[in-house]
Amino acid sequence: MKTEADYYELFEAYQRGELDASTRAELESRLAADPVFARRYADFEALTGTMRAYGHRLATRRKLQTIQAELDAEQAAASEVRETGIPSMPKVYISPVERKLRDFWNGYRATIAVAASVAVLAVFATLLGIEWWRAAQRPSTYGYTVLRREMDRIKRNQRAINRAINQIDGTKSPEELNPGKFGGTGFALTSDGYMVTSYHVIQGADSLLIEGRDRQRYRAEPVFSDVAHDLAILRINDKKFKSFGRLPYAFKRGAADLGERVYTLGYPREDVVFGEGSLSARSGFEGDTGFYQISIPVNPGNSGGPVLDDRGNLIGIISGKQMDVQSAAFATKSSYLMRLVDSLSAANSGPTYNMPRTNQLYGTSRAQQVRKLQDYVFVVKVYE
Amino acid sequence: MGKGQPSYTDEEFVAAIRRGDDRALAHLYRLHLPMVLHFVQQNSGTEDEAKDVYQEGVMVFYEKVREGSLELSCQIKTYLYAVCRRLWLKRLAEKSRFGVRLEDHEPYLETGAEADLALAEERDRRLATMAEALERIGEPCRSLLEGFYLLDKSMQQLTADFGYTNADNAKNQKYKCLVRLKKLFFTHYQEEELS
Repeated sequence: MKTEADYYELFEAYQRGELDASTRAELESRLAADPVFARRYADFEALTGTMRAYGHRLATRRKLQTIQAELDAEQAAASEVRETGIPSMPKVYISPVERKLRDFWNGYRATIAVAASVAVLAVFATLLGIEWWRAAQRPSTYGYTVLRREMDRIKRNQRAINRAINQIDGTKSPEELNPGKFGGTGFALTSDGYMVTSYHVIQGADSLLIEGRDRQRYRAEPVFSDVAHDLAILRINDKKFKSFGRLPYAFKRGAADLGERVYTLGYPREDVVFGEGSLSARSGFEGDTGFYQISIPVNPGNSGGPVLDDRGNLIGIISGKQMDVQSAAFATKSSYLMRLVDSLSAANSGPTYNMPRTNQLYGTSRAQQVRKLQDYVFVVKVYE
Repeated sequence: MGKGQPSYTDEEFVAAIRRGDDRALAHLYRLHLPMVLHFVQQNSGTEDEAKDVYQEGVMVFYEKVREGSLELSCQIKTYLYAVCRRLWLKRLAEKSRFGVRLEDHEPYLETGAEADLALAEERDRRLATMAEALERIGEPCRSLLEGFYLLDKSMQQLTADFGYTNADNAKNQKYKCLVRLKKLFFTHYQEEELS
């Protein structure tokens, strides 16, 4: 009985062709006849074949590694030659750390770029978003703008200088210390101390001060305000105050005509300013029928100023303007003021309003009208 | 490069390598290394990884040529590129959890390299099992078998190396070792096939 090792010897001899003819023929016939024996031979072949292939693989790998090593050596030599060949070019030594950094950069370049762009985008989107949000918080940048004036710093400085001069003179006026936060224009409603201005001028006011052309100051308090038509009625409650005297203008109860020449007086700055134009439309901002559109150039501070027609009738009260339209100012219709006064008089508890009935301006020239009118137009100063 | 080396056409390369011309192999190796280096480094690999992949790729090509079973339907360059691309893709997939997308800079064609690679993978597995079996068989069997089959030493030389009294003793020992190796190899190989 042969062992497996003996068979292997036989197989090897057969593979090498060392068997004599008779033994070989016997082996081949047995391979053909006996499947177990054939299987054993196949295993042997697979085993030795794999082992030889493994040997070849190792040899090939060594070969390739040798080639690669030669290449590397050549390259090293070549780079040395190049470095010494060009004296102007300094030898570049790359540290392991830098090599790692370079590999990292090569590998993650795209990712880094994406991350950076996302960061930049996020920053700008946030900034833009905040800007929009803040713009949304200020709805009146375009469109309708109310015309009350914020007292600026220049004025503050001027006042400070004035005060210093006053102190040298020995007179002291404590009110000059605070120039007020906002300013607007107001005008007399009755001779006994009622006045009219725009509601937005006195909005949020702690105290009000009325100052006339003669620099006389009176304390005042709001009596009634109509937010919808931007109207406010004030009363002077100052002991110094006696009377306005007889009012030269009358209030128009009806509607004024389109194209009528109108003018206003107001205090957009320290001095009284005259402005003139025409009545452009019988409705206000976005079709508001409580207002006229007039073509008078107006500025912050004009708010609450009277609008009069050629015959000296008061037809409106300046309220605001539209920023994105050329010279479109809006004025509350006098009819609404009249209606407000009538309803206040009708309420029994309220005081009586002695409205002027005659118009002294009718038929006089524009300059004469203004000269008379300016004594009844005042600065309204608001303290918060 | 260069050094007055002859320039081969693709057919001449295949013929020379089949003959066992190592200079042709070295020349071919140099010729296409930069392409694969560039490709792998472009796709988040290091220089060393690129060389590894390239050696494996050339190995596939070389073994196919030596067997005479290579059916080249395109340029050698394209074939090598396809093989190395596939190999690198596999390594990247192993390395990374993320999806892998490659930037190609050579035209990538269907070259039949994919099929060759599948065969080569099967072969790799078999050779790895063999290496493991040789690892486990222990001395002196391992050295004896390696000496005879891998390094092609003669029985006489092995007899002398291992201090056997005569060649027949060495032969008997060798066959016994072969039987043991057979058991180790086939049990592992079949287990792997099953799993």
